[in-house]
Amino acid sequence: MLYEYDALSSRRVPDAVVFPETTAEVSAIVKLAASAGLPVIARGAGTGLSGGAVVIEGGLVVSLARMKKILEIDIENERARVQPGVVNYDVSLAVADFGYCYVPDPSSQKACTIGGNVAENSGGPHTLCAGVTTNHVLGLEVVLPDGSVIHTGASHWDRPGYDLTGLMVGSEGTLGIVTEITVRLTRLPEAVKTLLAVYDRVSDATATVAAVTARGITPAALEMMDGFMLRAIEAATHAGYPLDAAAVLLLEIEGLKEEVEETSFELEAVATENHARSVRTARSAEERDLLWRGRKNAFGAIGRLAPNYYVQDGVIPRTRLVQMLDYIGEVEQRFGLHIGNIFHAGDGNLHPLILFDGRDPEQRKRVVQAAEAIMTRCVELGGSITGEHGVGIEKNELMPLIFSEDDLEMMRRIKSVFNPQALLNPGKVMPSGKVCGELRIQVN
Amino acid sequence: MRGAAADIQTDLTAIAGDGSASIEPDACAAYAVDGVTPSCVLSPATPEQAAELLLSVADRGLAVIPCGNGTKLGIGAPPQRYDAALSLRELNRTTYYEPDDLVVSVEPGMTLGVLQQMLAGRGLWLPLDPAGGERATIGGILAANSAGPLRMRYGGPRDMVLGMKIATADGKIVKTGGRVVKNVAGYDLAKLVIGSHGTLGVIVEATFKLYPRIATRATWAIEIDSLDAGREFRRRLLASPLRPMRAVLLNASARTLVQSANREVTGSRRMMIWIEAGGSASVIARYERELSGLAAHMNASLKPAGNSEDAEVWKGLADFGNRLASQRHTAVVLRAALPIAATEEFLKRAEQHGRVEGLEVAGVAQLGVGAVEIGLSSIPSPEQRVPNPTNVEKLRRLAADLGGSLIVTHCPVELKPRIDVWGPRGDDYETMRRLKEAWDPSFILARGRMIGAFESGRAMT
Repeated sequence: MLYEYDALSSRRVPDAVVFPETTAEVSAIVKLAASAGLPVIARGAGTGLSGGAVVIEGGLVVSLARMKKILEIDIENERARVQPGVVNYDVSLAVADFGYCYVPDPSSQKACTIGGNVAENSGGPHTLCAGVTTNHVLGLEVVLPDGSVIHTGASHWDRPGYDLTGLMVGSEGTLGIVTEITVRLTRLPEAVKTLLAVYDRVSDATATVAAVTARGITPAALEMMDGFMLRAIEAATHAGYPLDAAAVLLLEIEGLKEEVEETSFELEAVATENHARSVRTARSAEERDLLWRGRKNAFGAIGRLAPNYYVQDGVIPRTRLVQMLDYIGEVEQRFGLHIGNIFHAGDGNLHPLILFDGRDPEQRKRVVQAAEAIMTRCVELGGSITGEHGVGIEKNELMPLIFSEDDLEMMRRIKSVFNPQALLNPGKVMPSGKVCGELRIQVN
Repeated sequence: MRGAAADIQTDLTAIAGDGSASIEPDACAAYAVDGVTPSCVLSPATPEQAAELLLSVADRGLAVIPCGNGTKLGIGAPPQRYDAALSLRELNRTTYYEPDDLVVSVEPGMTLGVLQQMLAGRGLWLPLDPAGGERATIGGILAANSAGPLRMRYGGPRDMVLGMKIATADGKIVKTGGRVVKNVAGYDLAKLVIGSHGTLGVIVEATFKLYPRIATRATWAIEIDSLDAGREFRRRLLASPLRPMRAVLLNASARTLVQSANREVTGSRRMMIWIEAGGSASVIARYERELSGLAAHMNASLKPAGNSEDAEVWKGLADFGNRLASQRHTAVVLRAALPIAATEEFLKRAEQHGRVEGLEVAGVAQLGVGAVEIGLSSIPSPEQRVPNPTNVEKLRRLAADLGGSLIVTHCPVELKPRIDVWGPRGDDYETMRRLKEAWDPSFILARGRMIGAFESGRAMT
């Protein structure tokens, strides 16, 4: 049954799945579940990568897939009001003719929903200069676990009172079920340029990233893929990536024509100074789309190389990229695994992809060890365990790596205000305290 | 009263150490809020001391208000109890600075001016132009989520904070977020604290993502005849490919106020749009060309502002509310938050209201942001009469009719108890109240100052 899964494997089956179409229905369902003491798990498209929508102890899955109306598009006020089941990409499509877009663009943007994005505070390649989901949400309608409905924020900035919208975004469905979202729309840039810088050494690519940041250039996107990933992607997508390179950077700049022109020269110079073998500029929209298609389909391409893969989401200061990639190389050797590197380099948000055969318990054990080593190093370098995928059930037991008991206590107090019976999405985000530092890996 | 104050001071000095607590009347008077003077000023030197002080304040059933330089302390209902000011001015160090990673952590007492100066040394800046300008402290800017017109391009304080340390009412220091530019681990407590006006916890450290300093900046002025022309300009601007750093519209009264320190006071009854853009020479040239075209549509002309004038205008804007309140002791300053498209219409209706009621209405609209600051004062004798509090409710209704809300940022002390600073509660009020109760069960932090004063709290006295 499909609803046993999001991207993380689990064997528990929900007691029931419901498909409400209105806020009133969500409220009624939640009330009913509360009176029966049943857990409630909200779910969008199930593309999550941290098990946020996985059913742990049974209960009711509230699928928001049928709440997929774009309720209002208001260009002059640069906002749109949508239901949670609306697919991310559809918002941008709906406003493209007006010259606008919705900025956050997770790789799964053609499938994932705005409701899911709000739950996870999703990012994407283009959030480097424009911010993640939380920077693009103005207001929410939320059904609380007792069935009451509240409206947080507004359809504009600065409604007086606490920023409950900012608290809800990224709370992974543990504080309430979001039934309506007012998002900010952003004007499309006049000009866009996409560059592909090719390197014979990974360290030259990471040095370029550090130099771009240090020089104060803010590209719209700055992605890195290592040679292993390049070859995998090229075989699947034919994006035109060089097969013999050690790494490439995908750089995008946007803005006024003049800005884009000048910044692209600057970027080319920085890449060349850092020993890029070549820097290629996409000459047409088609060529640009192709370069991006390769990047966005990367996880799928890996599926051709191994029965399973596990993707991580650690973040490090951008000045530590060189060190971190060296370390990932060591881990690869030490545990005898293939690890592909593809990530939002400009943000320092890594997505190491560990390849394995999930049928082999011994391999699975090694994957967990390697993943824990990588994550621990991210934290040691001053980073975080998750940049955009969320904590879910994957990393909740690792929260003590970055938060003290006092930090977690304040979070628990917040949770108990919203979700006192812990019936809403139980077992997610906060550590259970039952086990110590255990990573639950995802088998894709 | 002095005896009790001395007891408190003795208690708190024991914890804070010599010199960090004072009951000097002058020192206390400087921290008066809405006419209420604290008995004691506490000045912790470390975050840990701040947390310990909060604990001892809670133990004694007292209440504090966290303070910086006081540029936004006027925002809030009169305190229900205010024993001690928690001055954070001495907590003003840089605790982490990684210029190559565009990240900095500072303590709350550092002023924006000092921070900008440090950042400029490495070609960086924090694109914030809050109320109070360079004098505003980082803690105060965050507590009030104070954003100026730069928000159109860069977002506000809430969009730039990567992490935070917060001293809580139970004497703990809790961390949220981190020092990396992307992080979704755990609830985003910083969002909750930003804009909570010191009612949930005391910010003792904040980490920001930084921006490269803009090479060249230019400011232009366009003089216009009507708010309709202003609306037309804003529409065309937002529909163009231009992305200016900031743009404001000043009505005639506001223009006189903001530019009064400036050489060019024309006494003109016309309105003015100020607009700033940044980039390379060719980018600036492009802006100049296109903005001239936009101005021509309104039969107006684009005038470049000189460098010094440029700085004066934006500084004057940041001080708008404080300057108005200090120049005219009867002035009431309001801040409306509105849908972007309602900005000019709100100002227009506010002016109409002023004409009917015999009030001068000075208005500054942040274009592309949806914020309008309104200064109300009586005509013809601005020094005499305090505007009737019903004016606030009337303007609030005008804002609500346009889909917005309105708060009072400055008002004469004698008027405060008769004015609703925050406006009506939403259906999320109960959740806010419970959050306050969960984090500050004894209501020791800025008691009574925010939203309906949380008066149903069980610890109220």
